Amino acid sequence: MAEIRFEDVYKSFGTKAAVQGVTLACPDERYVCLLGPSGCGKTTMLRLLAGLESPERGDLLVGGERINDLDPAARNVGLAFQNYALYPNLTVRDNLAFPLRAPRRRGQFSTSDIERRVDEIASLLKIGELLHRRPSQLSGGQQQRVALGRALVRHPPALLLDEPITHLDARLRYEMRAELKTLHQRMRTTTIHVTHDQQEALALADVIVVMREGRIEQMGAPLEVFTRPATDFVAGFLGDPPYSLIDAEVERGASGLHARIAGTALPLPVSMSPAVAAGARIRLGLRPKHISIASSDDRDAIPGNVYSHEMVGRELQLLIQVEGGWLRFRTRDRLTFRAGDPLPVRLDLAQARLFDHGTGRALTAGRDSTAH
Amino acid sequence: MSRIEFIGVSKIYADGTPAVRELDLAIEDNEFLCLLGPSGCGKSSTVRMLAGLESVSRGAIHLDGRRINELPPQHRNAAMVFENYALYPHLNVYNNLAMPLRAQGMRRAEIDDKVRAAADLLRISDLLRKRPGQLSGGEKQRVGIGRAIVRHPAMFLMDEPLGHLEAYLRVEFRAEIRRLHEQLGVTTIYVTHDQEEAAATADRIAIMRSGSLQQVGTIEDLMDRPCNRFVGEFIGEIPMNFLSSRVTGSDGSAAVQIGGTAFVPDARVRRALGRIRGQELALGIRAEDVQLANALDGEGLPASIAVVEPQGERTVVIVDTEADRVTCVVASDEMPAPGEHVRVLLDMSRAHLFDHSGTNVLESEPA
Repeated sequence: MAEIRFEDVYKSFGTKAAVQGVTLACPDERYVCLLGPSGCGKTTMLRLLAGLESPERGDLLVGGERINDLDPAARNVGLAFQNYALYPNLTVRDNLAFPLRAPRRRGQFSTSDIERRVDEIASLLKIGELLHRRPSQLSGGQQQRVALGRALVRHPPALLLDEPITHLDARLRYEMRAELKTLHQRMRTTTIHVTHDQQEALALADVIVVMREGRIEQMGAPLEVFTRPATDFVAGFLGDPPYSLIDAEVERGASGLHARIAGTALPLPVSMSPAVAAGARIRLGLRPKHISIASSDDRDAIPGNVYSHEMVGRELQLLIQVEGGWLRFRTRDRLTFRAGDPLPVRLDLAQARLFDHGTGRALTAGRDSTAH
Repeated sequence: MSRIEFIGVSKIYADGTPAVRELDLAIEDNEFLCLLGPSGCGKSSTVRMLAGLESVSRGAIHLDGRRINELPPQHRNAAMVFENYALYPHLNVYNNLAMPLRAQGMRRAEIDDKVRAAADLLRISDLLRKRPGQLSGGEKQRVGIGRAIVRHPAMFLMDEPLGHLEAYLRVEFRAEIRRLHEQLGVTTIYVTHDQEEAAATADRIAIMRSGSLQQVGTIEDLMDRPCNRFVGEFIGEIPMNFLSSRVTGSDGSAAVQIGGTAFVPDARVRRALGRIRGQELALGIRAEDVQLANALDGEGLPASIAVVEPQGERTVVIVDTEADRVTCVVASDEMPAPGEHVRVLLDMSRAHLFDHSGTNVLESEPA
């Protein structure tokens, strides 16, 4: 087991900066998800650790040891990529045993050691019945389990997973997600898991690291990041549906500060007043549960139009276009809409998140972690 | 006007493989119907027979009451959108859109009007001078759909049109397709293997398996009243839970027994009681309809927390009961810890009972 550290790491490809000065400590035994859209640098981070790329600047440390100059095979990290990369002509047993029989480990594991480790990992991953099969005789989920098993069989101090379940079908992805979590609860191997799927990251991670354009946008425990996004980017990325973002201007009214949204002035919660001033342009982040359909006599209603609607399970998900933004929320009411229908909405600002319109950073009245 | 009816339609390929078996299905005018099922279920063959790309082996397809089995594809006025966009690579977007109209011999000015209207609707007006090679996957598919709508077909047939777009684009695009349908009001048949996509777009969903239609209904019908275990399993974001159970007692004392715990059935189950008493059954229940209670309360199935997966507002919790693994959904402010002992409560009014053949005995008519 080992802590993994990135210290001020830079990497670019030609003129494209992939990782721009990242400092990150992944604590021992924790499951860390690097989350972000494609091109954010998350996969490059993993490839740097594995030794498939070299950093231009900065240090990579595993268990306190600097590994920048170590040969990839000497790095002692387990690696599983989204394409399984199993040896097609070897059985599952031989695929699992392969890392233990590698030339550089000759003499390190006896034949009976290898047997024991393969059996142990196969039973943990529930592939004991498949040991005599070849990869082509396995389903996608089974192949992914074998790939994981191969990454784990050496008991590496660190496990690196690059989109390990992304291209499995929805059902299997669901199942494998729980398997990964159970596996980590048993083995406690420090894990870095790269994904663009926020649901996967929330479900699995002890620590989520949201990345954007080669930098860390925010890191923290899943629910911490979800409930207190540090920037509008994080807010717009997390949740299903994610936070809705809407532009507003702060005004001073008779009873305190107001947010002017689409022509309607809504009182801002008193707790927010230290963070904003009259005249400021802000962006409000609203969780779906704080948006609802306004009743006909609601004087605080915001005018909007149904852009699209869809059923998600038993709920109706609405995308409403309003002046200054889009609102996404769900309702259990059985309503019928057509695209384009007018629909006034009610916003509950009591728990809204406020962001600076220019920088995108959260405006907070203290007490709150900010972006790293 | 386009009402489509499949009457006892079968498709048997030359090698004897039955792809579609005696399909009876009516699609109303202006309806958006999804054909949903795993690969090989017959959904693509069904839509290809309708387009005239495959012959009908047995039965009849009617369009507005008229048999069209023998009508050549070009006379069916169906516009197809495939997973691969099939654009002409050497033509720009404008000419790709204009092509089907030129083929009809339409006047230049009229073609121009229609191409620009379609481009506007699909928000590709800025791309008209570009060639397919310069477009992203999502843009290409917009052009593909544009080419289908430009000639005002009687029906849209879409076969996995979002198949190879990236996940986030698929989610965005499915809403666009539904929106387009509401603006154009053309009967649409949409083939997909993705139940979320079907739920999001369709008025009704027809779910198929091994060539046979299983059930037709709204997403709520399929969620809340699955006719069999296959439908119950296939529909829903979180897989349905199945618990081994049996019905004991009779009338007043009737109960659904799971392990050592008896659950008092609701009126639906009691009504079906005569047919199902004593049988080994699988009780199917959705994660949203399972609740966790304090272990000390003593009510419900004893269980321990296996996996906790926060999802933001809600948290998915997987628990191990004596016999089965059960998934439930709780609010994120009441998140339990792995290993914790709890009790599982089941909302019996939302439960289904499946017999050994997979039939939902609560939804089937008494024999």
